[in-house]
Amino acid sequence: MAILSEGVREQLRARFAERLSGPVQLTLYTRPGSGRLILPSGFGCPTCEEARELAEELRDAAPEKVSLEVVDVTATPTPGVSDVPTLRVWAPGGDPRMAWQGLPGGFEFATVVDAMERVSAADPGLSEQTLAWLGRVDQDLEVMVFATPT
Amino acid sequence: MSLANRMALASEHVRALTVEANEFPELSRQFGVSGVPRTVINRSGAFVGALPEAQFVETALTLAGVDLDQAPDGA
Repeated sequence: MAILSEGVREQLRARFAERLSGPVQLTLYTRPGSGRLILPSGFGCPTCEEARELAEELRDAAPEKVSLEVVDVTATPTPGVSDVPTLRVWAPGGDPRMAWQGLPGGFEFATVVDAMERVSAADPGLSEQTLAWLGRVDQDLEVMVFATPT
Repeated sequence: MSLANRMALASEHVRALTVEANEFPELSRQFGVSGVPRTVINRSGAFVGALPEAQFVETALTLAGVDLDQAPDGA
């Protein structure tokens, strides 16, 4: 069953047709088949299947521009991915520096869509002042944002 | 797109990770999440709330120890 309604998928197709210029890579890290596991260690991944369907629907909205790779973390070493599902949005050939851990629903879905568009255009949409400040960053910096779907 | 992601898109040194707080309660507890959005810099300093662009970036970079008063050319 689709995660997004047909109406939303149609809006997404129209929006991506207008706003995606360059290619966009989605990489989804999952642990397939673990959705029903309930373990004290937290090994189960109740949202991995939904995350995969959502990522596929994002790709299907503009398959000529959006590529999707689904990585099984139980079979492939995944440095930098601490839990699943994790979705990365990046420009092919670049460095994946944006990730969502957990199912990006509600407001976070909108941030993923916007990220895809900005990655596609290589446009962060920041002020000159902000870009000047960021130009002074010369060491690795992690910005972790805790959010909820609503 | 969140400001954290815009920062990551603009700077090769910045990585942005958005965590669904309800889905990872242990991680949320580890970083003292009682309200969202909570932004944690280098797994250390943090601030709560949706801030305007300049304030968000200035706060994040200050917590990271970036000298924002330094002249751009280092002079």
